[in-house]
Amino acid sequence: MAEPKDPAPTRDTLSRRTFLKSAGGVAAGGMLTSQLAAEPEATPLKATAGRTLAGDVTIELDLNGRKHEVTVEPRTTLLSALRHRIEPPHTGTKEVCDQGNCGACTVIVDGRPAYACMLLAVDLVGRKLRTVEGLGSVENLSPVQAAFCEHDALMCGFCTPGFVVATTACLERRPDADLATIKRELSGNLCRCGTYPFIFDAAETARAAMAPKKGGK
Amino acid sequence: MRARSEPAWKPKKDLTVLNRDIPRVDGPEKVTGAAKYTHDIRLPRMVYARFWIHPYPRLNLTKVDVAPALKVKGVVYVKALKEAGEDVRYQGADAAIAVVAAETPEAAEDGLRAMIIEAEELYPPMVTAEQALDESSPKIGRGGKNVNVREERGDEEAANIALDTVDVLIEESYSLPVQHHVCLETHGSVVDYRGGDEATVYTSIQNVSGTNASAARALELDADKVNVITHHMGGGFGSKFGIGIEGSTACRIAKELGRPVHLMLTRGDEFLMGGNRSGSQQTIVGGASKDGRLVALVAKADRFGGTGGGAFAGLPYIYKVENSFFESRSIYTATDSSRAMRAPGHPQASFGMESMVDELAFAVGIDPLTFRKQNLEDPVYHRQLDRVAKEIGWDAHPNKTEPGAVDGTRQVGIGFAISQWGSRSRPGSQCEVRIEPDGRITSTTGTQDLGTGSRTYVAAIVAEEFGLEVGDVTARIGESAFPTSAGSGGSVTTGCSAPAIKDAAHNAREAFEARIAPMLDAEPGQLVWRGGEVISAQDPQKSLTWKQACAALGSEPLSAMGEWQEHLRSQGVHGAQAAKVEVDTVTGELKVLKMVFIQDCGLVLNRLAARSQVNGGQIQALSYGLLEARVHDPDLGLMLTDNLDDYKIAGVQEIPEMISIMDDDDDRLAVMGMAEANCIPGHGAIANALFNACGLRLRDLPLTADKIIMGLSDRS
Repeated sequence: MAEPKDPAPTRDTLSRRTFLKSAGGVAAGGMLTSQLAAEPEATPLKATAGRTLAGDVTIELDLNGRKHEVTVEPRTTLLSALRHRIEPPHTGTKEVCDQGNCGACTVIVDGRPAYACMLLAVDLVGRKLRTVEGLGSVENLSPVQAAFCEHDALMCGFCTPGFVVATTACLERRPDADLATIKRELSGNLCRCGTYPFIFDAAETARAAMAPKKGGK
Repeated sequence: MRARSEPAWKPKKDLTVLNRDIPRVDGPEKVTGAAKYTHDIRLPRMVYARFWIHPYPRLNLTKVDVAPALKVKGVVYVKALKEAGEDVRYQGADAAIAVVAAETPEAAEDGLRAMIIEAEELYPPMVTAEQALDESSPKIGRGGKNVNVREERGDEEAANIALDTVDVLIEESYSLPVQHHVCLETHGSVVDYRGGDEATVYTSIQNVSGTNASAARALELDADKVNVITHHMGGGFGSKFGIGIEGSTACRIAKELGRPVHLMLTRGDEFLMGGNRSGSQQTIVGGASKDGRLVALVAKADRFGGTGGGAFAGLPYIYKVENSFFESRSIYTATDSSRAMRAPGHPQASFGMESMVDELAFAVGIDPLTFRKQNLEDPVYHRQLDRVAKEIGWDAHPNKTEPGAVDGTRQVGIGFAISQWGSRSRPGSQCEVRIEPDGRITSTTGTQDLGTGSRTYVAAIVAEEFGLEVGDVTARIGESAFPTSAGSGGSVTTGCSAPAIKDAAHNAREAFEARIAPMLDAEPGQLVWRGGEVISAQDPQKSLTWKQACAALGSEPLSAMGEWQEHLRSQGVHGAQAAKVEVDTVTGELKVLKMVFIQDCGLVLNRLAARSQVNGGQIQALSYGLLEARVHDPDLGLMLTDNLDDYKIAGVQEIPEMISIMDDDDDRLAVMGMAEANCIPGHGAIANALFNACGLRLRDLPLTADKIIMGLSDRS
């Protein structure tokens, strides 16, 4: 199956090494402002003055379909912004390794999965962000969330939001993903309890539940 | 009120809730991110604390200046935990030199960077067994020694004499590295103290009822004024029995500041000081007769538990050997102490024993399945081995008594291993079942859910008693203020808490029946609870809905306590493992194709959660066998694997086809824990399967491609 062409590098297309390189570059001040300037919608920065950013800046993030004003530092990761800065705190996105190894902080950025610990919050102005809280609720589970519960695709549950988000991102982009594709898409997420076999079952059940209805029935 | 009759588990055929697949009750909270773990607790005016940890194990501190951190924006608290002139004796908690607390985690990190800490590094770092065993090394271990003999068992002289009589004798060494628990939620606490004489301590701990006393001590408060809360926790696996230096430090900062404190270890700190499974080096001399009897075994095992003693289950492991001698020693290094980890000591002993058994089987020319059964007395193992052999396809497999060839192709092999676990339990656990007039029913006990699914059976046992759905019962767990429950170690949780829950449900039902039986013209004990109704056994026309029955309570709820009942639990788990692997004899790539594990555990409370536990145990063993190893640089003394990039755990691509079977031929109508036997034999079975595939016997875990390719080239 051919990979769809994507304008922005993401987990699928980017090697770990180039990802780390680009993330490292972003952390340097000079690149930060030039990248922001290139973003047509990246204007709500109130504290932007001169060529560099320092200290607290208030930005607006488009999170789960709602605008959130949040005060961050230029170095604040999306993960830290979600867990420590945004009100109310979005703690469903978990911090496990904080360096792009484990996928527990997986979020969806403009429809594609990304590690929130490897993104800077200030880079995400104007991007559509979705976290596990935006997919469904305890009273109204999304198809992926319901399938995870049905198949016991969770134990301690600490990796679970990351897997739920990654599975959702996979099936929304590839509604006909076969198991090998699902496994490849989930390869950036780690679980210690050993829920993988039941996650595979859940993903296949969710795929069926999310499949577009064909014909009149 | 005490029961008029003894509680008893219903026969399996009569159960409507238990012994079935029960989706866990906290699933919806966990899949939506609504479940709040200790990491996720957010409180007004809370500060974030971090340790300054020196990476080198042995130091003489020459300068400890924490004051510069106070000038950092956002930092509100700094404290030196050690002073200049003091020593650091080992890597991990003893190397926590200072602590900082700040308004944000980032500011806390800034504070750490501002501190000036200097030290003289003492050489050698004492991070390897070679350094510990070197005569010229400093003596750093317990009792001023680097080596302690821990256990001797059997008659060495008699075993050696017996070894002289055997037809086949094999002497080999087997080794396993130190393994980390890698709980995805690191150790730590959030201490809610804002002045006054009460506090709430949120902590990621597998021993909720046993923790408020130590937290209260650190806070200098009365134990009954401190509530310890673990509503959800991101794994424990044996490493989370106490609040540790991270918890007691959080308590002291909170007491000094009068503000809530969030102190969770970073991932790097977790590797340095969060505990581990001790490594092992074993020398085993085994002898068998040519008809396949294990005649004699002399085994010596070293445990590498850092500053701790390590764990080792003893040899021979399970198999009957006519003459044996076993000695085990602790080798101390200046590294973090080993802790209990899922079946402490057993995965190590199992690997040595199962490898030796396999070597002897092929040496005498008897297939490894038959050879195992010949040396196992317990018929449970016979039926379990036969079952996994069937599921893995042993009958049709070509390499029964000879391994496959190294011929440049991919070769497939099958291996076996077995395991055992005591799953003992003890008195002390309690539960309260409470029925409200509006129909609400709660089951409350201080137990914790590490991810095992215990919360679900806290509700399900009560639902079974009253003919309700699991969702009708609210399970309340994870607070030290709740009725006492045992810590979760050694698979005791189910055996300790389930009988108390059952007893509470039974007592509540009897008390309830005494109240409502007259309304149904029936006697207490002559009522049937089924499908959300209570029905007269004599006259099925007479019934009340659950709501009607509860409303009959009037204005006061009905509450009943339950205690641990010995007859409701049993002990003794057996397990058998088969693994099928494929090895590329050109590249050395080893892929596990399939794993099958069967175990008994008496009455299975929740078959779905039990299979999850068996999957998880097998995967952790696979991970230990293929990937995991703590690595130190012996000269620099640094831990090279203090992150999830360098310390590998099994991921999606390593997962084979997995079959997890509950042994339904077990007719014990009693409960016991079951999460340990399944993590013991997997890596041994995989190593045996590798040999079966291509004739390469690797005796040193993990089974990485470099070792395989070197081993294959040595053979050819």
